[in-house]
Amino acid sequence: MSDAQRPSDDGVSSEQPSTGGVGGGDSDSGDGNDEFEPVQVFPEAEEMDLRPGADSCYKCSTCDTNCPVAEVDDEFPGPKFQGPEQWRLKRQDDHDIDDSVMKCSNCMRCDSACPSSVPLSQMHNTARAEYVEENMSKFSREYLRNRVLANYRRLAPLASMFPRTANFVMGRSVTKWLGEKTLGITSERDFPEFATETFREWWTDRGGANVENEDKRIAYFHGCYSNYNTPEVAKALVHVYEHFGYEVMVPEQSCSGTPMFANGMLEDARRAAETNVRELAAAIEDGADVIASCSSCSMSIRQEYPELFDFENTEDVAANTWDAVEYLRVHEDLMGALENTTVGDEFDDMAYHAPCHSRNQGLDGQTIEVMDAIDGIDAHDVGDSCSGISGTYGWKEENYETSMKIGEEMFEHMDAAEAETGLTECPTCSMQMEHGTGYEIKHTLEVLEAALVGDRDGSGSGSHASAGAGTETATESN
Amino acid sequence: MAITDDVLVIGGGLAGATAALAASDAAEDARVRLVTYKQSTLRHASGLIDVLGYAPSGDGQQQPIADPFTALESLPESHPYQRVGVDAVREALAFFDEVAGDAYAGAHTDRNALVPTHGGTVKPTARYPVSTAEGLASDDRDTLLVGFKTLPDFDAPLAAAHLEAAGAPFDARGVTLSFPGIGRDDAKVTRYAHLLDHDERVETLTGETGAREAIAATVKPHLDGESRVGFPAILGDEHPTAVREALSDALGADVFEVPMGPPSLPGLRLEDLLYDALESAGVRVTAGVPVVGHETTSEGMTAAIDHVVVDRHGAEIPHEADQYVLATGGLVGKGIESNRKRVTEPLFDCYVPHATDRYNWFVDDVFGEQPYARFGVVPDTELRPLDADDDPEFSNLRAAGAVLGGYDYAAEKSGAGVSLATGYVAGTHAGEACQ
Amino acid sequence: MAHDTAVLVLGGGSTGCGIARDLAMRGVDVTLVERGNLTDGTTGRMHGLLHSGGRYAVSDQASATECIEENEILREIASHCVEETGGLFVQRPEDSDEYFQEKLEGCRDCGIPATVLSGREARGVEPYLAEDVSRAIQVPDGAVDPFRLCVANALDAERHGARIETHAEVIDLLRDGDEIYGVEVRHDSGPGKRTHKSPGTTEEITAEYVVNATGAWAGQIGDMADLDVAVRPSKGVMTIMNVRQVDTVINRCRPKGDADIIVPHETTAILGTTDEEVADPDDYPEEQWEVDMMIDTLSELVPILEEARTIRSFWGVRPLYEPPGTGTQDPTDITRDFFLLDHDERDGVSGMSSIVGGKFTTYRAMAEEITDHVCAKLGVSATCATAEEPLPGSEDISVLEEGMDDFGLRSPIARRSNQRLGSRAADVLETDEPNPVVCECEGVTRAEVQDAIDQSGSDLNAVRIRTRASMGNCQGGFCCQNMATELHPRYDEATVREALDELFQERWKGERHALWGEQLSQAMLNYALHATTMNRDNDPAGASTQVDYAQFDGGA
Repeated sequence: MSDAQRPSDDGVSSEQPSTGGVGGGDSDSGDGNDEFEPVQVFPEAEEMDLRPGADSCYKCSTCDTNCPVAEVDDEFPGPKFQGPEQWRLKRQDDHDIDDSVMKCSNCMRCDSACPSSVPLSQMHNTARAEYVEENMSKFSREYLRNRVLANYRRLAPLASMFPRTANFVMGRSVTKWLGEKTLGITSERDFPEFATETFREWWTDRGGANVENEDKRIAYFHGCYSNYNTPEVAKALVHVYEHFGYEVMVPEQSCSGTPMFANGMLEDARRAAETNVRELAAAIEDGADVIASCSSCSMSIRQEYPELFDFENTEDVAANTWDAVEYLRVHEDLMGALENTTVGDEFDDMAYHAPCHSRNQGLDGQTIEVMDAIDGIDAHDVGDSCSGISGTYGWKEENYETSMKIGEEMFEHMDAAEAETGLTECPTCSMQMEHGTGYEIKHTLEVLEAALVGDRDGSGSGSHASAGAGTETATESN
Repeated sequence: MAITDDVLVIGGGLAGATAALAASDAAEDARVRLVTYKQSTLRHASGLIDVLGYAPSGDGQQQPIADPFTALESLPESHPYQRVGVDAVREALAFFDEVAGDAYAGAHTDRNALVPTHGGTVKPTARYPVSTAEGLASDDRDTLLVGFKTLPDFDAPLAAAHLEAAGAPFDARGVTLSFPGIGRDDAKVTRYAHLLDHDERVETLTGETGAREAIAATVKPHLDGESRVGFPAILGDEHPTAVREALSDALGADVFEVPMGPPSLPGLRLEDLLYDALESAGVRVTAGVPVVGHETTSEGMTAAIDHVVVDRHGAEIPHEADQYVLATGGLVGKGIESNRKRVTEPLFDCYVPHATDRYNWFVDDVFGEQPYARFGVVPDTELRPLDADDDPEFSNLRAAGAVLGGYDYAAEKSGAGVSLATGYVAGTHAGEACQ
Repeated sequence: MAHDTAVLVLGGGSTGCGIARDLAMRGVDVTLVERGNLTDGTTGRMHGLLHSGGRYAVSDQASATECIEENEILREIASHCVEETGGLFVQRPEDSDEYFQEKLEGCRDCGIPATVLSGREARGVEPYLAEDVSRAIQVPDGAVDPFRLCVANALDAERHGARIETHAEVIDLLRDGDEIYGVEVRHDSGPGKRTHKSPGTTEEITAEYVVNATGAWAGQIGDMADLDVAVRPSKGVMTIMNVRQVDTVINRCRPKGDADIIVPHETTAILGTTDEEVADPDDYPEEQWEVDMMIDTLSELVPILEEARTIRSFWGVRPLYEPPGTGTQDPTDITRDFFLLDHDERDGVSGMSSIVGGKFTTYRAMAEEITDHVCAKLGVSATCATAEEPLPGSEDISVLEEGMDDFGLRSPIARRSNQRLGSRAADVLETDEPNPVVCECEGVTRAEVQDAIDQSGSDLNAVRIRTRASMGNCQGGFCCQNMATELHPRYDEATVREALDELFQERWKGERHALWGEQLSQAMLNYALHATTMNRDNDPAGASTQVDYAQFDGGA
């Protein structure tokens, strides 16, 4: 049942060393030499008429007050204009989407802000895809760069084959300079380091799951970042879930699509989503619920898939996908299990940033509540501002400054908090947190692992599988 | 398993936040959670805390009420203020004063203040953000109003002329200027505020300076002996006091804000203030998710709510509590909904009185006595919503704020006051009941 | 005797403005008086359909032929008012095949291009059409903005020397024996552009010839001179949807009936209509069942209408007429043809003709015929050029095509502004000053509002019909105030206040008919903004007694 595959050699030749981007996604065992295929977003994808979504808008502008981009950059006219106003002004044949849509960072804060349920992010996603298709030159540097950033999954496997070389090459200033000059990727940021062993390699070497339990199964959607860059997060998830007696499945998967949505590469996202929906639906069929450790991945599967695609089982997969901590809170007595647990010094004081995509799922308060249950942890919420990086957004040369301006409030609050470790659930937020403050950034699952499992060495965790406080039968929510 | 608390408040506006604060104040050990779906209507509101500005159901033009507390006594029985009692209104305001600290003014007197509005009228209010304090129309100092070409919501010269027509006891002048550092005509108010909050460097004719200095330099030549200067309410979001002080120092005059329509920075600041207080009080906040259902138990005569179900993108999460407060807002906040046939309270289907013929939901004069403005649930004195037979719908559900009916907050200028008073009373009862 | 003007046209609807333009272009000195704003009567209260003629292709082929001819002319001379949407006559399972066939043949007989689409093809054109729509006939129906068209006619008439007086109500016909020689009007605040608060005056305007183009009100004018003009006003409801559910005119393919048409109109879609005779064109009931019928019946064609948001409803009154003694019972069966009643021939009273009946699409042809008649009376030999001369805004159609300037505006706002202004766009929108959007729903900028104020004075409803500002989903809640402030400092504070109150109340009038769901929430938000935040309902500036400021908290 562990059908994990070592990501195959994507065979991408190494003349593109400066493209280690960001985002989420995994290789779907590429078939070698796949250059980017020609795009065909529209009209193959059905044109979506979202004008009726404007019916819900009563112009209160609450969305605008939540937009972190409009606050620092007046070139971006805010979500009310981009969403309901622009759509309402459209006639069927109008395709001149305003170019400012490309300034949207896709943080999706407007979605949870709107008191009237206007499908704001869906409107942005669709308009952006239409803009990229109709108005952006496919030969422009911007288009190429966006395509590269959006398709991190195609490049990450290569880097992870030779992680040390890749880390070396990407860290070199001349490479970064080339990145900025040739592609418009900012040289201000350090490319994320690649792990010497990916999560999926570890999983295969480990022999897959250590617990078998047909009553309690999860299918883990790890996304690309915890596979290639932070496998310790993925391992923590496995350990924590096995601690509660779950059988962990690691199905075949592709990028969640988040960076593609953000860049208007809807057709790339469609291909990735199709793989994911098919694989995850099969896992659900096998009795699993889908668990994601990255807040953008869960957001994408839960909200964007059903809004933008209509593959068979899309809705079903969305409804059965959970955030990793949320799932345990509802299905296990997580708070009870954490009572009287402790963690090492490294987690004593933490500055927690709730990613926008957690906020969108109503999960922004969850981490602090869970941390409070662990003895000795002092976790400070650094407020409700956006980190500013928003996936690939802050990697673009032209957005770097805006991105750092948006992040300023978070940096200030992190500085003010008495902590030197940061905590978050989003890989790109963690990059921004680290970039802005120099803190070491942890994922909530790593803290849970320390509290519940203790031994962070992956090989030994199997012994906890049936022990511990959390093995009572899951209480189904009604 | 259900996420369990003692008190669950549904709705994150002024009433809900007050209820949650009052509940945790009434029962120190109680676990209080506030669940809110979308962002509240606080961001639409001016940030003023009005209690009662005009008597209800007056015919035509009325005089503003100078002493709201005396006027409360003569409200009809059905009015939410009467349901909770005048003393409770005072207690609630005192509670608010404590929470707001020095961010609000007006507590020194029972009298209403008259605050200039962005339309140039004046509005009676009991408490006002400190940013508006220097601008009271009931203060007789001469005033310069400053508007900006790119902010069409506020026309300062027109507002000044309007204030004079309204008989304000001072000379008012208005000027319309360009806002340094704003490049696009559709920049959002948060952009203006951010420029000032962070004192960003901006280009001016005389070189690059901080935004605060640049604004002051733009305004200063227009100052002609006035001792106070009013701006549209965009003077900072995070650091409004510092912004005002900097402008005031540079201008040599007091600086105030004129409250604006949505999106309202004073409303946003009030929201921040309340959410900081919630955090300090240990109230847990779950935002961005709707309550979509509930299960009841019935012990005794009256049904009780066992738990509610929160929808999280398709996943149904049960939330259980001992006591519940419904503070989901009115027609604007969607705590009250309607279709062509009826008006409903969608979460618990509490009784909402309304005419069966929808052509009786309105009157033809836009500012007439509008029945729709009074739509809402009917509470008993403990603020439990009543059914059509005047019995409580549920033993452990109370309602607060605009979800309540029987009053027209727009005509009375009583919205914030009713939310505070009923939020305070509902929260206090809920806290006490779960002890 | 010397007259003030050669021809006096009564009524500022499409017919009156069309006649004024035609006369002025032929060099005739003309004055037009209108009781309210241009289009206030029937013209501004129609669904905006530019007929292909398809609707009349079975019942009235002469009208159908005339429609397609005029349709083609208007696409040329008024391209900035016309949207070439195309139209569909759709058939549901219960609609008869015979009639469908008759319709198709009728269209072809009248020279109306008509193509049969399968249900699937029809849904390809309009995705929201009902699944059980079985077939459709595609015809060149269009959408037209009656406000802009009418205003453009008036503007062009003025350019050719005409005098246009709005807010000038006819209070008497001047009759000397058997001759009518003018009218007495009451200027609301004139003469000239309307300015609120200016005192009204009365004025006698004498003319060599009077044309009564007051449509449904023609009988009332006739009564002033004891002339019997038996118009049979018939009301019809139109319900405006917040967005365009369709981009094509959707007609139900059946002989006749209420609620059988959906017209995409600018940012909205308009559902119509009913047909019921009323006694008084100024006073008739506007009823709930009429609105409900539009939604319920038209949802059969486009199901999402059932749950969609309507922003207002309005009623128009058709100026139906039939010659005495015809005796048609059902107003639906009364001819849509127009009649020129020469009171000299008919009643022995010279100096005036009345125009009744007719339809909007053929307004130009009607105007031409009437102008010919008047010119014959006056001995003017100039011929009509209105079919060839483009209206102001449509002189250079390339503006509406690719490469339109964005004037520094966001592209959808630039597009809409260009569409509304046509070839006037550069004149209006080019500015060095900031040009913020005043009405966000419709994408109307300050420059466009200022241009409308140039044309129409302090009357914000006149600004509204020129720009569409306040006609979107907030129904003016957020922009009425901003429109009003644009009047300042040209007009003083008291004038601005009155103009704002008038516009706000006018917006409420139509919104009352859409008060449920989103629009009720919108209404409450609007009310809260204007009453709570701005305290406009108890504005001390309008009060008879002075507020005693000293009684209030003056600060700590």
